[in-house]
Amino acid sequence: MKGIKIMKRNLIWALGAAVIMVAGCKNYLDEDIRGGLLGAQALESQEGLEAALTGAYKGWANTWGYGFIHATGIAATMGGDDVTTHKASNKADFREFDQFAVPATNQRTQALYNGCYKAIQGANNIIANYQNTQGDAATIDAIVGEAYFIRAVSYYWLVRLYKDIPLIQQAEFSEDLLAIGKSGPEEVYNLIVGDLQKAEELVPNTKRDPGRPNKGTVKAYLADVYLTMAGWPLKQTDKYALAAAKAREVIENKDLYGFRLLDTYTELFENDPEKNGTAESVFQISTFMGVGSTNNANYGFSAMPGEEGGWDDFFAELNFFRDFPEGPRKDATFRTTFVKGDGSTISWEDSQTQHPYYYKYYQKDEVKNWASQIPESMMRYAHVLTIYAEAQARATGTPDDLAYECINAIRQRAELDLFENMSGPEFADAVVQERAWEFAAERTRWFDLVRLELVAEANSNKDANDLQPIGTLTEENYVFPLPFSETSANPNL
Amino acid sequence: MTMKSERLQVNKLELQGIRLACWCLILALFTVPSFARQQNAVRGQVTATDGSALAGVSVQVRGSGAGTVTDGEGNYTLQAGADAVLVFSYVGYSTQEIRVGTQATINVQLQTDLAALDEVVVVGYGTQRRTDLTGSVASISPTEFEEQPVSRVDQVLQGRATGVQVSNASGAPGSDARIRIRGANSVLGDNNPLYVVDGFVGVDFNTINPNDIESIQILKDAASTAIYGSRGANGVVIVTTKKGTRSGFNVTYSAQGSRSYLINRWDVLNAGEFADIANTRSDDMGISRIFTDQEVADFKQRGGTDWQDLVFRPAWGQQHQLTVSGGGEKTTYMVSGNYLNNDGIINNSGFKRYMFRSNINSNLTDDISIRVNATGSRTENSNTNLMSGTGNPVVQALSWAPTTSAYDADGGFTAADPVGSVMVSPVALMYDRANLNQGNFVNLIGGLNYHLPVEGLTLDLQYGVNYLNRQSQSYNGPVVSRNNPSASRSSAEDWTLQGTASLSYNRVFNEAHRVDAVAVFETQQFVTNNFSSTGNGLKFPSLEYYNLQLANSFAVGTGFSKWTLLSYLGRVNYAFRDKYLLSVAVRHDGSSKFGEGNKYSTFPTVGIGYNLAEETFIRDLNVFHSLKLRGSWGKTGSQAINPYATLSSYNTNAPVAFDNSGIASGIMLGNPGNPNLRWETTEQVDIGLEMSFFQGRLALEADYFNKNTTDLLLNQSLPAYVGGGSLTKNIGEVHNKGFEVALRGIILDSDDWNWTSNFNVSRVTNEVVSLGGIAPRIGQGTGVGAGMSTTNEFMLIPGYSLGSYWGLKYLGTWKPGQEADAAVFNAKPGDSRYEDINDDGEITTDDFQVIGRGIPATTAGWNNTVSYKSFTLNVFFQGVFGIDKLNYTRAAAMSGSGDARQYILSEIKDRYIPGVNETSDIPAFSATNVVYTQSSRFIEDGSYIRLKNLSLSYKLPTLNKLGISVFVSGTNLFTITDYKGIDPESSNIGSGTDTAQGIDYGAYPNSRTYTAGVNLSF
Repeated sequence: MKGIKIMKRNLIWALGAAVIMVAGCKNYLDEDIRGGLLGAQALESQEGLEAALTGAYKGWANTWGYGFIHATGIAATMGGDDVTTHKASNKADFREFDQFAVPATNQRTQALYNGCYKAIQGANNIIANYQNTQGDAATIDAIVGEAYFIRAVSYYWLVRLYKDIPLIQQAEFSEDLLAIGKSGPEEVYNLIVGDLQKAEELVPNTKRDPGRPNKGTVKAYLADVYLTMAGWPLKQTDKYALAAAKAREVIENKDLYGFRLLDTYTELFENDPEKNGTAESVFQISTFMGVGSTNNANYGFSAMPGEEGGWDDFFAELNFFRDFPEGPRKDATFRTTFVKGDGSTISWEDSQTQHPYYYKYYQKDEVKNWASQIPESMMRYAHVLTIYAEAQARATGTPDDLAYECINAIRQRAELDLFENMSGPEFADAVVQERAWEFAAERTRWFDLVRLELVAEANSNKDANDLQPIGTLTEENYVFPLPFSETSANPNL
Repeated sequence: MTMKSERLQVNKLELQGIRLACWCLILALFTVPSFARQQNAVRGQVTATDGSALAGVSVQVRGSGAGTVTDGEGNYTLQAGADAVLVFSYVGYSTQEIRVGTQATINVQLQTDLAALDEVVVVGYGTQRRTDLTGSVASISPTEFEEQPVSRVDQVLQGRATGVQVSNASGAPGSDARIRIRGANSVLGDNNPLYVVDGFVGVDFNTINPNDIESIQILKDAASTAIYGSRGANGVVIVTTKKGTRSGFNVTYSAQGSRSYLINRWDVLNAGEFADIANTRSDDMGISRIFTDQEVADFKQRGGTDWQDLVFRPAWGQQHQLTVSGGGEKTTYMVSGNYLNNDGIINNSGFKRYMFRSNINSNLTDDISIRVNATGSRTENSNTNLMSGTGNPVVQALSWAPTTSAYDADGGFTAADPVGSVMVSPVALMYDRANLNQGNFVNLIGGLNYHLPVEGLTLDLQYGVNYLNRQSQSYNGPVVSRNNPSASRSSAEDWTLQGTASLSYNRVFNEAHRVDAVAVFETQQFVTNNFSSTGNGLKFPSLEYYNLQLANSFAVGTGFSKWTLLSYLGRVNYAFRDKYLLSVAVRHDGSSKFGEGNKYSTFPTVGIGYNLAEETFIRDLNVFHSLKLRGSWGKTGSQAINPYATLSSYNTNAPVAFDNSGIASGIMLGNPGNPNLRWETTEQVDIGLEMSFFQGRLALEADYFNKNTTDLLLNQSLPAYVGGGSLTKNIGEVHNKGFEVALRGIILDSDDWNWTSNFNVSRVTNEVVSLGGIAPRIGQGTGVGAGMSTTNEFMLIPGYSLGSYWGLKYLGTWKPGQEADAAVFNAKPGDSRYEDINDDGEITTDDFQVIGRGIPATTAGWNNTVSYKSFTLNVFFQGVFGIDKLNYTRAAAMSGSGDARQYILSEIKDRYIPGVNETSDIPAFSATNVVYTQSSRFIEDGSYIRLKNLSLSYKLPTLNKLGISVFVSGTNLFTITDYKGIDPESSNIGSGTDTAQGIDYGAYPNSRTYTAGVNLSF
């Protein structure tokens, strides 16, 4: 009996103690944050700053979500006369661009918009906090330079697509940001130029990785920005000279930066996933098939016809294809016969959409896969050559030798007659037309049409079997409405 | 720095104070001298007719006010004189009165009585006589589902209790069910009720074996749920498991076998029809034909692929249950094991479950008993979680063309459909992919109960551990992944520790004042730890997830989260002459989830009741057997906040490739934190009326409730230019009100015949009252309709219900004579016509409006048990009314665009054809037709009445103590509904959310199941 009593007492003590002890633990209600990464101290180490920079690039490269590694960039520039899309099927978001009737709810504009701002937020975070980072000064400089580059290029895309946009330079969220108004293109371009000038100082001459910029990349973008500033909407024609000068710096130092024009167009669009892009790449977004293939892979099927298992996202406009000068460049650019699942072949005229497709976007060996790891080319060295040629001619009124040299390098590769003895305006216009062929479906043509106010003209000559513009084309059609998610969250936009 | 240490000091002091107080309390309890005993000790055990022990039976000495409640093994001890009469009363049993006389041991066997009024119900942290309740509590006794093929708690709850809505959103075996008590309060939080099993708070209902259940109580109003404080707002389901009996040794074994079939099939075009129609469409659209005339003729002659036949199958199932119970003088035990193995009606899917329980109770001394409840289970889900959208085999069965064959010339899965779907074949989605989940679950509860030497005072200490280990494997083979096979493994463990110390006091003073009070101190700690790894580019795909190291690249992730809850609570119930009732309770919860200053919240409640039947003037009417009015008010909280929500953290999953050899891991700024977050608070008023007639053979219980949830957490969507994401704020308000009526009748009750019938109906009206001004409306996406939806399918709008569908109103097709009006929208007769609410001549998202409601308004159940001699027939109907469904499955197969490309359903034959069929509202094949799947065209009435169970059992004559009964039953035998999909009950949205529900996009349908079973007992 006594034993039981002692046992019973011990038991109660033990259980009571267990219950009380749990609560007795010091700071029982404190939050245990050991699994979380919080606050600005994450950027105090060089590794943290580098991880934040990587996160900033993510805005440009989220396979399904946002950024550039899918057909969204093509969709947004479909107002050019080089690309069109499926008449029926599920391509409404593409058609809206091709037919100049883009609503605020278009999913494609949203994808670029969100990605660019996500990249800007990441860049802002680095720019705001790098002063407290401990580490190798040269590396930190490179990181910060890339951050300025990311912010500038993101705003460059945004200002060209939307013109008036919210301009954010802080990383930290505050409620006031939900009521800001839009900034005009002049203010935005000033920030872009300023950021690129800072990046120009900080970014090294050699790319740290194939998917990053070097000093030449930054200069090339600055040249491109100046060229655009010289046209609509700012029309600061004094910028042609700046564009030519900046492009010239790149051309003169092309060996230093590792840029060159490849020998053949075929080699340029070999699209070998085993290669890290080419020496002609001034800037590219690298992609990778592994690791949750939805994360970093580039799209594969977009440019292929239904007959070949593709998605029919975009293909060539008929008159653009017909007018395209014959030669190896045309052959490498277009796919005109399709191999069906049963092995039989049909010509584009007999295909479902009755359009030729862009062979330049096919993977090497015609691998059929929704995904690829071909780098997304953002700017080629050929761009720099055409920037110089056009800007120099427009700035001075007379193309110089280097301008001829630049454009003829491209024409020679395409096995076309070389330019000679042209007037300034004639030369510049010919360069713009050459850019249309050379950069077909490379998201260049649309911006050329806008800055030179050629949109209506270029869209006036459509084949009857192509989608036609809805309504009269005016300046209104040069930019798109801000996404609905933005104007609904902030009525001041 | 000094501030901080001072605060620490204070905390320390406070905690020391608490500790000291608790120790003092315990010491005091030991040192209180025993009362002089003038009466004799009477003890005994209360059992049911089948010999099982009854816990929680009220044992009262008539007229003296003394009384107690039986413990876990049905034992009681009390002091009573020889003249005393003991009154035994319990849930669903007839009350018995026994004169003590000279007996020191009085064992009582209570008879079942559905009409019993003096039953005792288990409430939070105690028990209470039903007549004394001031709150709304529904009870389900095992007799209501015995000998029916029930293997999960949601099947027990569905249709059997008022105020409880259950929908088997997924018909896959072993999958989740949506259970709501009195509607949904929260937008961000989980609206599933809180499950309490044997005092352990917060158990996964999937881990409860219905065969082990002794009783289920559903606490609905604040008077009942406020005792669970910050976790009570969604209602509470209290489960008590069976105990052993003090004498004897009982073994029961039951076995069931079942066969399940698809409820309904989609009416699809055959290959010949399909080819014809696809060609007609190409002609109408001005593009090249897909099939040659020869091919069409061939398909007409040879037929094609019936994808539904390849996806669905009849499926076998079995369940076995073995229960051994018994006990001796001091100790009782109940040990049970359960095995269940159900194949799913979609190929390659199934569920297995192994369960074990051991409940041991022992009386160490006359006044101290201990208990150990141990339960463990393992569940194995194979491919029961269908991916939603285009990765779903059901969706693809309605997207792939019947003209495409399932296998290629080499016998492999056809990789691409040249005509119909752009996605992977449904056959490959079933066989070239794996999604396996295993749960390993252990719950251990140790408790000690001490009847203190003060009459009516009991100390109970309990400590519980809940451990859930989740393992999963997934695999995407070469066909599904289009030649980038990948696999992943993940592992997670959830630990919950709970300590509860309660002191209860139960006494009747002067025959008139019945008091029962309880004070509780409770702590809980929740820890989650997880790990996952993925291998991409598997070099040997056939090894699936077993050799991730043989992959080209890898991704890993780990995570940790922890939060704690510290609670003080107390309740006093008071009854005066069993007539006037008062209940007051309060819980004070502290949570680690909040910042300093916001950690603690208080949840009070008051309930009152009036037993009118005790009044002479009512009794004189001779109409009512019982009559009670009751009302309650109280506040509860809901756990809609995740740990760390008050802090801003980085999104750590931002990999970027800088070359083609791999990725760099990056970090991105995540959602900004809000340091001012608080609990959502739900304030509820309940008014109830209970009455019964004809000696209790007809009983009615009706409740009206009104719930208002304030400080509702909402995510204010942030624009992309600040980085997107959202900011969580306590700013909204949601309102639920409704009524519940339960009617129980014993229609026949003779020697041979017995017919009892229970009917219940519940109606809830939900309304979003305020969004705190952050937006006129907030979209609620689902992710289900990728490629189908224009914008969010659901919208929160003040004045409308949660789960309101957002879309265009479909007005049918433009008809001949409307050419001019149609031309405004670039349309022509035969094209889709939508309401242009702003009259701007364009159909845009500005024309979207509320086009339906995904939350059911009314649910009802009607359960009949008719027995004749040894035969028992159960007929159970269940119904849901006032719910709309968005039938994306049909939309995908009927829009000829998106990822499906062609029309698959036979419905298309009735389309608008110029000059032929111009009355149809199914649009013509036309290049100008625009199909918005997110429109009222695909909103369908999801109301249904279903024969949920029809079973017949027969009890054979007992042979040498061997009792045998056999039964056959059918589940979901028929359904009355206007819904055009396979099953109105199933949906793709998980059970946690209510803002978006009711979308059917290839949801796993419920099945029609035939079961035969045998029960043996000896």
